[in-house]
Amino acid sequence: MSQRTERRGIHVDQSELLCKKGCGYYGNAAWQGLCSKCWREEYQRARQKQIQEDWALAEKLQREEEVAYASSQGPQSQSQSQSQSQPQPLAQSTPPHGHASLAPFSKFEEKKTNEKMRKVTTVKKFFSPSTRMAPKKESQEGKTPSPSISRQTSMETDRVSKDFLEFLKNLQRPGREIHKQCRAFIESMANKKDLGADELSECVQDFYQNLSDRLMSHFKGSSESVERVMDQVEKYIMTRLYKSVFCPETTDDEKKDLATQHRIRALHWVTIEMLCVSMDEEIPEVSDNVVKAITDVIEMDSKRVPRDKLACITQCSKHIFTAIKITKNEPASADDFLPALIYIVLKANPPRLQSNIQYITRFCNPSRLMTGEDGYYFTNLCCAVAFIEKLDGQSLNLSTEEFERYMSGQASPRRPTDDGSWPLEVDGSASSSTTTAAVNPVLAQLHHNLELLSSLNIRQDRLAEAAQGLQAELASWEEGVQREVQDILERYPLEIRPPPESAIDTENAESDRLPPPLTPQVFAG
Amino acid sequence: MSAMRVDTKVVMLGKESVGKTSLVERYVHHRFLVGPYQNTIGAAFVAKPIQVGEKVITLGIWDTAGSERYEAMSRIYYRGARAAIVCYDLTDSSSFQRARFWVKELQNCEEHCKIYLCGTKNDLVQADRSLRQIDFHDAQDFAEEIGAQHYETSSKTGNNVDELFQKVAEDYNDSAFQCMADEAAVDLGQKKDSYFYTCCHNN
Repeated sequence: MSQRTERRGIHVDQSELLCKKGCGYYGNAAWQGLCSKCWREEYQRARQKQIQEDWALAEKLQREEEVAYASSQGPQSQSQSQSQSQPQPLAQSTPPHGHASLAPFSKFEEKKTNEKMRKVTTVKKFFSPSTRMAPKKESQEGKTPSPSISRQTSMETDRVSKDFLEFLKNLQRPGREIHKQCRAFIESMANKKDLGADELSECVQDFYQNLSDRLMSHFKGSSESVERVMDQVEKYIMTRLYKSVFCPETTDDEKKDLATQHRIRALHWVTIEMLCVSMDEEIPEVSDNVVKAITDVIEMDSKRVPRDKLACITQCSKHIFTAIKITKNEPASADDFLPALIYIVLKANPPRLQSNIQYITRFCNPSRLMTGEDGYYFTNLCCAVAFIEKLDGQSLNLSTEEFERYMSGQASPRRPTDDGSWPLEVDGSASSSTTTAAVNPVLAQLHHNLELLSSLNIRQDRLAEAAQGLQAELASWEEGVQREVQDILERYPLEIRPPPESAIDTENAESDRLPPPLTPQVFAG
Repeated sequence: MSAMRVDTKVVMLGKESVGKTSLVERYVHHRFLVGPYQNTIGAAFVAKPIQVGEKVITLGIWDTAGSERYEAMSRIYYRGARAAIVCYDLTDSSSFQRARFWVKELQNCEEHCKIYLCGTKNDLVQADRSLRQIDFHDAQDFAEEIGAQHYETSSKTGNNVDELFQKVAEDYNDSAFQCMADEAAVDLGQKKDSYFYTCCHNN
């Protein structure tokens, strides 16, 4: 029944809900309309394809390098752009360098076959651990909707690898060397899945160190170019390794995440005043920045590269600075910033906060983390988290009892003066009125809203009354006026008097009624 | 990328309202020329290049929250710092007690961190001698005892501010070779060693 009504409501045909492969199970939009089973199959295929593409790309790059190297005299850029446009460039890309002698060509052939041999073995190596781990992985994927997530990530991985190869192309020979190193490193990491997080971190850090040392000698101490390359390397490696090294099962990161999350949730009652934050959220611009800061710190979890995560933190911090600057009208200092950041973290409750911090600490390029601007804000975030973990009454200028009461939800600091009429006051005695102010913050809010509503109601009633009064008044006024007019009319009835006759007027109609004019009489005289 | 390469980390420590931020502000805004982004950022983190000899060293200056509330977290702040400027207010004896606390912390936790003791608000003391609560010689003795440099500065007049930071940069430059050499001996290969050799050769 309910299904039918629902169908009518949103016009979804039953067949549209089923898996697109027609296996009879229901599909899911997140899995492109497939059911979980078909999606997994599809996804595996896509992944295989992606890996193959990756290899093809890598191979291509290597070949280009070979070509460029073999004909180092020839126009390199030309050969590169040509071979780039054709996926199977060997036969076609060499003819343009016809002047290259036959010997290097055959050498090249030889190298290529060698390479192929090696590649086969590396490919095998690459897959062997995953087949060994297969059952475990399967169960993981069954538990969570990870196929959709990993599909996204595999696309991202693909993009990042392409970017990386593009970037390395500009570096010519060392680029190839770097790529080789990175690939070898990722392969070696695949075999180290069982290691603890600290060992993994050490491996990655060693790799960074070694590579940057070598780059340093290559670029002859130009730290800027080294940094640029290292950024790309970090991006490439960490995007690839993210899944296996972020919040690994060997650590208790996840437990800590949950603990922090609960802790922040329990601290929901902390107000901006308690933390002495100099941000006035009444100002629209400030609250705007606060919202942006919260968004940024939450977004951190969605990034995969440590540096991108750091960028989110920096972005968040900048918004906080803006908010403080608008409120205080002067540049903010650390004394203002840290409390504000704590407030933002409490409000945002960012997902997997501890895991993210651990991940950044373990796998970020250390030079960035320790000294730079990003490092500064990251350190502040660590401080904020440490503060939240250790937070007690004293750090909020509250007594221990008060703190306990707020923590247990018996009282809320939001409406400390509110009391009295609240009906939940169980025993109704005056002594309890202070604590019943709001048994719990939600009730307090409710109470507040109800009060607002009732006052609104009263005002509306009053308004309606007044309107009625006005109407009545209007009516009575009209009546009054009418009556008055009537009165006056009655008192002074309209008389139409004949106009007074004029003696002068001889042509009057009634002139005939007049006595005849006096006629002259002659008296004896 | 707005991020600038930073050579070393310098933390500012000191009680609230002792003038850490003003000190940094004074120092950075005094010479306006450096980098457009620094002025817009707020004063909590500043990257400031300084000329030392023929070399330019970029100090990353970290302002910290001085309130006692965050005392437990201060360790996170100065981790890995090469220099710490511990500030106290010349007109406030309690701030000097707090400075002692930080010095002790630093000595316990960051042995590589060089300490600079800095009395602030010197202009107030100059204007009215009776305001002074920390005797210059007491502070000097304390500084010698802990092997620190001692400065009395005024962010208002700029007195001694540049000198302080210049000294920080110079000391870093001098110690850089030594520290790096130490590190190289411990865990780095030959290559790195030779690189640093050449870099210091230029100096």
